[in-house]
Amino acid sequence: MDYVGPIASGIPMSLLLTVLGFAIGAVGGIPLALMRRSRLRSVRFISRSIIELLRGIPPIVWIFLVYFGIGNGLIKVEPVPAAIVAFGLISCAYLAEIYRGGLSAVHRGQWEAGVALGLSHGDQLARIIGPQVMRYSIPAAATYAIGLLKDTSIAFTIGAQEILFFADSQAKQSSDALTPYLVAAAAYIILTVPCAWFARSVDRRLRVRIAS
Amino acid sequence: MAQPVTDPAAAKSTGMDVSLEHIVKAYGEHVVLDDVSLSVREGEVCAIIGPSGAGKSTLLRCINLLERPDSGTIRVGDTTIDAGQEVGGKQLHGLRRQVGMVFQSFNLFPHLTVLRNIALPQERVLGRSRAEAEDRAMELLQRVGLGDKPAQYPSRCSGGQQQRVAIARALALDPKVMLFDEPTSALDPELGLEVLAVMRELADEGMTMIVVTHEMQFARDVSDHLIVMGHGTVLEEGQPEKIFTDPATDRTRRFLRAVLER
Amino acid sequence: MTVLQDWLGFLPQLASGLWVSVVVCLAAIVVGLPLGLALALGSSAGSRALRWPAIAVVEIGRGAPALVVLQVFYFGLPSAGLTLSSTMAACLALALTTAAYTSEIIRGGLQAVPRGELEATEALGMSRPDALRFVVIPQGIRVAIPPLMGFGVLIFQATSLAYTIALPELLGRAYSIGSSTFQYLSVLALAGLMYAAVTIPASLLTDRVERRMSRHLA
Ligand SMILES: Nc1ncnc2c1ncn2[C@@H]1O[C@H](COP(=O)(O)OP(=O)(O)OP(=O)(O)O)[C@@H](O)[C@H]1O
Ligand SMILES: [Mg+2]
Repeated sequence: MDYVGPIASGIPMSLLLTVLGFAIGAVGGIPLALMRRSRLRSVRFISRSIIELLRGIPPIVWIFLVYFGIGNGLIKVEPVPAAIVAFGLISCAYLAEIYRGGLSAVHRGQWEAGVALGLSHGDQLARIIGPQVMRYSIPAAATYAIGLLKDTSIAFTIGAQEILFFADSQAKQSSDALTPYLVAAAAYIILTVPCAWFARSVDRRLRVRIAS
Repeated sequence: MAQPVTDPAAAKSTGMDVSLEHIVKAYGEHVVLDDVSLSVREGEVCAIIGPSGAGKSTLLRCINLLERPDSGTIRVGDTTIDAGQEVGGKQLHGLRRQVGMVFQSFNLFPHLTVLRNIALPQERVLGRSRAEAEDRAMELLQRVGLGDKPAQYPSRCSGGQQQRVAIARALALDPKVMLFDEPTSALDPELGLEVLAVMRELADEGMTMIVVTHEMQFARDVSDHLIVMGHGTVLEEGQPEKIFTDPATDRTRRFLRAVLER
Repeated sequence: MTVLQDWLGFLPQLASGLWVSVVVCLAAIVVGLPLGLALALGSSAGSRALRWPAIAVVEIGRGAPALVVLQVFYFGLPSAGLTLSSTMAACLALALTTAAYTSEIIRGGLQAVPRGELEATEALGMSRPDALRFVVIPQGIRVAIPPLMGFGVLIFQATSLAYTIALPELLGRAYSIGSSTFQYLSVLALAGLMYAAVTIPASLLTDRVERRMSRHLA
């Protein structure tokens, strides 16, 4: 088990990529979600196209586009920032869709109540609808974050020093190539499975509360 | 035709259609049925009333073994089952073929049309051909006033219509006895009337029926035999008119006052 | 217009890569889906000896990133004496992931059938296999098909990870063109659009199917 230490040293980087990618998406998803509900057809179309493209192209292709595509010709990009940008972009699209689900779950009556109270559109969004949407979005967002943590393993392909990166270098150094990868798999499972169980139970509780 | 209840010859020739003896059922510590016995003659309509939680549904579900009693004997027609012993698949099948059941929540199959809901069980359980089963289904749909609905899906039917389909589905298997568990409780009053009308007709035609109900009017007018349950026991049973006008126990009196004065 | 000319030049190679991606994706589904059904039945079985191994496989298959599973199959297994071609390793690794995810989707579908309907089948005297065949599975499948299609799109995307095990699929071809021409941006953009040309219509179709399927299931 002398692989565990080196491989575990990749955990902070995996978490860093996950947290920053998610944070970019959590902010960037808001305008995309609002554009999805715009009164203007063209605005809806633009946001929908952006979302579909971001989700429709595999994450590893996005990472390569940022790292090799932009990085090679135009400006110099380091692996970690490239990975954060790519995961951030993808997260924008997924979180926008999650917010959209939350928006449509907020009861129509809430909007009408806001109008009746004479609140401005912006005030309604920020103070009444926004907080409720966030609450509804928590379970799906948590599930997404767990998936994102697993996806950050892709950053190893451009040399970001996360879990799989260290597992890979261990495997290439020693005669036993199997164990390091299995340790990496175990690391992801240990990081994600308890989170997934937690998210599912929160989801169930939240559902009960909203339904009653 | 309906058997006159008082005719001893009829009772002797066919005997009891359903009888339950010493049924006991507990969920853990909680005894839900405490030594309940009951018998229903062929052609008789037996109504079961009582406060919520009395064990009415549980008793009804014991009759076709949707609920397994801890002990007691269940007899339907020529099938006798000792609940304390292992029940074979054949025995269970024999029991259920004679008993039709209608649920409070209809429980139609939403992915099948009304016609297929009624025909499929006939094909699978009785081995009827598709044409035969669908003919019979149409005939029954007409009888419950839904001759124009065979191609409809249940979700497009009102609750009253769905419940009538559920009745037709059960009748299509030619049961000896029909069990109803609060068939109108999930319905608006006027939709409940459609269903009650069908049940009344069925009673007039001589079907043996056991009906758990909160419809006091139906219990009083249509049933031949009334059972009042409370706390897992039979509080009182007998002629409905007599129980409604002069209940024998205090608990029955209190229950009837509560429901009739609502 | 030089970009379009470049793209025309890249296209034949990329198209043959796309074909490899599609084939590997289909193979993973063909192998993984029946396994997923078996795991779904296993993980809801009464017997512990059946249930716990099934749950373990599902949780491991869903917890480990597909990329790591690919490395295990291609680079790891030879250390245990089993050497697989990159195509074989890609198909098996993605099939394992497919089985784990689809088993949860299928289980969810089967459980979505209300209890009352099962009681109705019992009360009608229908046998258990008949109830499964005519009531539970048809409805469960309707519930499961849209998420299964959605998962199909994800597993198609996941074939791009097999680039790391030297499978000449779409991304692998794009990368090798990039490294020889240094036109990374151009060729990767085209590859991305080719993935999107498959996944976006598939997602739209999934949405439509979902709306259609839920029609009679109120
Ligand atoms: N599956 C079960 N597990 C535990 N307790 C149960 C179960 N089913 C019923 N009970 C309990 O058994 C008692 C009798 O229930 P039952 O449904 O038979 O009453 P009921 O007379 O039909 O009432 P209602 O008029 O509300 O339908 C209740 O106290 C109920 O809580
Ligand atoms: Mg009841």
